Amino acid sequence: MEFRPRNYIAEKEAHALPRVRADDHPLSAPSSLTHRQVEVVDHGDMGYLDPLRRSDNNAAVSIEDLEVIESNSVVGVSGEATMLNPSKEWVSFKRSLMQRFPVSKTVLTSSISDVMVKGRKTYDKSSTNMHLEELEDPEKFAEEGGKVITGQEYVSRLHELKVEINHAWHADDRVTSLKLSIKVAKLLMDTSILQCYPTLFAHATDIMDMLGDMVWERIKLKAELAEDGTKFCWLPENFVASDICSNAKETCNNWFSKIGAIRELLPRIYLELALLPCWRYLRDRPLDCLQRLVMMTRGLADPLASAYCRLYMAHCIRKLHSHDIGCLLTCVNDFKILLMRVISTTETTHGNLTGQKRLLISLMEPTIDYIMKCIFKNVSERQVGSVLMELGLGSNQVELRGKFPCVAIVLHHLLKQIPSQVVISSAMEIVHLIESSNDDSFDQCLNYRLLGFRLCERRSEMETVNAVVDKVIQVITHYEGLDEYLKVVDAYVDILLQNHMDDHLNSILEGILSRACSQGIAEDELATLQSILVKFLSYYEDLEDIIAMTPFLKILDLMYGSSQSIVNMHILDMGIRNGYIHDSNQPARLISSFVSLVDYGSEMESHLTFLVECRAAFGSIHWLKETLVRSSNCLAIKALKDGNRHISFIKSCIAFSEVTLPSISAQTKQLNLYLETAEVALFGGLVSHSDGLIDSAINSLQILEVMDGPRTPVDADGVLSSIQKLFSLLVMVPGNPEHGITYYPKNLVSLVNSQSWMTPRMRVKIFCAVVSLLAALSQRDLPYHADKEKVLGNGLLFFGHPSYLHELALMCKFVLQNLVDTIQQEPSMAARGIMALEACNCIASSFIPSQEISSICSNLIETGKSCMSTSHPYLQSTIKFMDHLVHSSVAV
Amino acid sequence: MSIELKLSRINRVYRPSELVEGKIIVKSSSSISHYGIRIAVNGSVNLQVRGGSAGVIETLVGVAKPISILRNKIVEVRPSGKIPSGTTEIPFSMSIRQPREDNLERFYETFHGGNINIQYLVTVDISRGYLYKSLSTTMEFIVESDKADLVERPVSPDMVVFYITQDTQRHPLLPQLKSGGFRIIGKMSTQCSLSDPVSGELTVEASAIPISSIDLHLLRVESILLGEKIVTEKSVVQTTQIADGDVCHNMTLPIHVILPRLLTCPTVLAGPFSIEFKVVIVITFQSEVAKLHSKSDPTTPRQWLAMETLPLELVRTR
Repeated sequence: MEFRPRNYIAEKEAHALPRVRADDHPLSAPSSLTHRQVEVVDHGDMGYLDPLRRSDNNAAVSIEDLEVIESNSVVGVSGEATMLNPSKEWVSFKRSLMQRFPVSKTVLTSSISDVMVKGRKTYDKSSTNMHLEELEDPEKFAEEGGKVITGQEYVSRLHELKVEINHAWHADDRVTSLKLSIKVAKLLMDTSILQCYPTLFAHATDIMDMLGDMVWERIKLKAELAEDGTKFCWLPENFVASDICSNAKETCNNWFSKIGAIRELLPRIYLELALLPCWRYLRDRPLDCLQRLVMMTRGLADPLASAYCRLYMAHCIRKLHSHDIGCLLTCVNDFKILLMRVISTTETTHGNLTGQKRLLISLMEPTIDYIMKCIFKNVSERQVGSVLMELGLGSNQVELRGKFPCVAIVLHHLLKQIPSQVVISSAMEIVHLIESSNDDSFDQCLNYRLLGFRLCERRSEMETVNAVVDKVIQVITHYEGLDEYLKVVDAYVDILLQNHMDDHLNSILEGILSRACSQGIAEDELATLQSILVKFLSYYEDLEDIIAMTPFLKILDLMYGSSQSIVNMHILDMGIRNGYIHDSNQPARLISSFVSLVDYGSEMESHLTFLVECRAAFGSIHWLKETLVRSSNCLAIKALKDGNRHISFIKSCIAFSEVTLPSISAQTKQLNLYLETAEVALFGGLVSHSDGLIDSAINSLQILEVMDGPRTPVDADGVLSSIQKLFSLLVMVPGNPEHGITYYPKNLVSLVNSQSWMTPRMRVKIFCAVVSLLAALSQRDLPYHADKEKVLGNGLLFFGHPSYLHELALMCKFVLQNLVDTIQQEPSMAARGIMALEACNCIASSFIPSQEISSICSNLIETGKSCMSTSHPYLQSTIKFMDHLVHSSVAV
Repeated sequence: MSIELKLSRINRVYRPSELVEGKIIVKSSSSISHYGIRIAVNGSVNLQVRGGSAGVIETLVGVAKPISILRNKIVEVRPSGKIPSGTTEIPFSMSIRQPREDNLERFYETFHGGNINIQYLVTVDISRGYLYKSLSTTMEFIVESDKADLVERPVSPDMVVFYITQDTQRHPLLPQLKSGGFRIIGKMSTQCSLSDPVSGELTVEASAIPISSIDLHLLRVESILLGEKIVTEKSVVQTTQIADGDVCHNMTLPIHVILPRLLTCPTVLAGPFSIEFKVVIVITFQSEVAKLHSKSDPTTPRQWLAMETLPLELVRTR
């Protein structure tokens, strides 16, 4: 058995493709464009806000801000679109209402009307009986009280009722429909379970709307039908009352008198509101009765019921496409009186009261919000002044204001909705208003906060901004709590940054620091703090500017948890200028990419020190260790390229890698990094290090066995290619005379044979690689070398030594036997054929075709033939190759 | 075999000068021979005394003699003949006012009260000889005054101003109510067209005890001359809540009551009977005692109630 001698240089030249010079890089874009892009990035003006980063900042702030943004976008961007489709908006409003105040799963006990418990098994009476009884004596049912029903049942019963009403209507039993609807409306009188009210409201008004629509359609049909039932006209969209025949008017009147006969005030109002559009059949100005309804609503003393009743009113007014806001303004003014009353009730001594009051106000809040939105949707800029006047907030009504102070929560929602020009033009007045309206209904600091956000929407004049900011800063210096301080500061940071108010910036940072030091930072304050710090970071371009602000770093130190990480990440991000953020490994990724991008230039020692520090600081991030090893390897290569002066530095780098490597938990990664480091060590002439690393690599291969579970094919292929890479590395590694020249290949072969998870396919590939390695080592000139000056290759070390070649041949023989045996173990025919051909190719190109080799090869081809069709291209080309080799060797 | 009456107007409202029109619908599987189809209209005031303020004897005597407005006016729609099988519609029309002879009584408007019932009926009768039972059915129609007869004067827009305080109450009040006091003022129209709502307004100015409800009860006052005695009975027709709970003070609340049909009619002051209306404004104060009496008549004076009764003249306008 003799190895085939190779002339690698000649072979390379013979097989290389002819090369042609290209004018352009195939991947480069037209050069002019690249330049322009770079310019934009470098010279972007100060006011430019990256839209992606902007939204990211906002996403981090609290829910309240989201609401602000949301509502702003409704007013600003999609205002017109939503105007066109108020019903959709109403649906989504109701949904959000129910989400905000979900029905508790717990059991409710209350004097629930019988309609709600009707369907339950506890009653043996038939439903009709129940109805009759209820009609006769509605009081009785209320008295029984204390019935138990879960929130879920409550909602599903409401759904059932809707179906029942709809069903009765279409079965021409409109009286039942109306009766049930009245009962549903009566449910709204019960505010004993505060938390449930919004859900009840949403479902009940759904039913009201449905009834209103059905009545409208019915009367419309009557107006369009002749008495004999044939359609005689289409009612135009903009019909007037005189277009309507007396028959239809009669029906309409009937409906109104039926509703007028409802004893209780609240259901009467709701149903009249539901039928409000029907007034058009009777009168040309259907809104005339609205003023009366607004006044009637005053008769509802319960603050919650009356607030939601006004909410429904606002919805019904919008359905009419009315631009009249007089009624809504009256509503708001009545609201204020109502709220003042709620706020001023202090007579009860129970401690629970304030909690209850807070819940009540938070339940009422969406109604104020919606009504305010409705008002300002229809208001032109010129009208804003008169609207404010109507609400008692006009700028020239100072004396009125003192007498009739605005309720903070109303002010809040007003401030949310008024156009931003108005906010800016009368910013100081608003500040005074906020100052004077300080009550329990709403946190005053949130109004200051909102003002800040509103001011950010547009650029305003320096003077105003200065005055407002001075005033606000003056106010918040008196705040003792960190939370309220942060909330206000958060809103003004952007203004301060944009206007370069460095003094204020410093003072607020100091303010935050002193409060945070004395009280610590609570969980919920972290988010706001994070938002503030991130704003700072996104404003400054240079990290140094941030680091120069000592309070900033101190505050950062006081933070903890994810918020701190997020700020840290933003700092890292500033360094990397890499805005992509995807998954939960984000911090690790960012740190890793940051570390990999750090460059100390020629100060490689410091760079290595930095890596050491990173390893100490981020011991928990596994991801990072990989980066650290890579970085240190890169450093070593860099030093290598720099000449021979750095040999000890390279040693330190390798040592750093060696120390870091064992703690990498991902085994395939570890294996690859061992190989990489071994290669670097070899290039650095550190043969003993590379030997050690190769040993470690083989060891880690052995540990692989320990890993349990089925190995995925990708994984196995990865290991396979790593092993193949190891063989290619071994070509350069000088043989160790102590262990013998075939020490590593032998080790690997026995390793391969002992690993049960290795498939025959993998083994065949590995054995082929061993054969190739041995063939390569036998050459006079090795195909490639490490640095020839530092590391002597085997070619030079053992050249011509007969025992060396003998040992290689011996080893080869052993491997060949293994190879042939392994092929036969492969169960799949097709795979076995391919493997046989692969091995045949490998053997044929490695050896001179002696008798022994030829018989092995022809056996392998026979195996191939038996496993695949004779026309298989691989088989054909292999046979051709064999023939060629035999002929050429004969020629030689 | 069925017989049905269908009037030309869905709401069945006719004025005395108008023709009552409609169809007789006969459905039968076989043809029917008859001796004529006749339509009859009847109108009367039925007076009845039940309990209440009437004495035992009056109750026993029971019904006063009904007053006939229109006595069995009969018109033959078809002479004797045959009705074919299937559905047959026979139109009819008749005037209810007889121009030649004087009417027995005024055409009072239809009214369904507790003791007084003013009702107009139309009856169809198909007589089929002695061997068969005659087919007949009856239907009520509603009479409203002729426009021509109505007073042309507009309904007075004047409103009556009322004050309700602890001092205007003639019945005993809860002590803390009496001492603490309350003041509710308002105004209301006392003459009202039947087609318009009763309107007015009301303001709670002060109240020592929280208010639980403010309600407006529409009362009908029916009086019947029985012998030499006038029996009067008051009953609640409709209740409308104005305020639910302890409303904010000094806020004006509207009074707006749509008058129920059939249960109201123009105020009538005839010789043998009269129908009048009143409005009682009842303020219920929050009280533990009140809960025990929740089923009592809402217009009965109680310690926790304050009330004010106002007359209400109802008129039919053009």
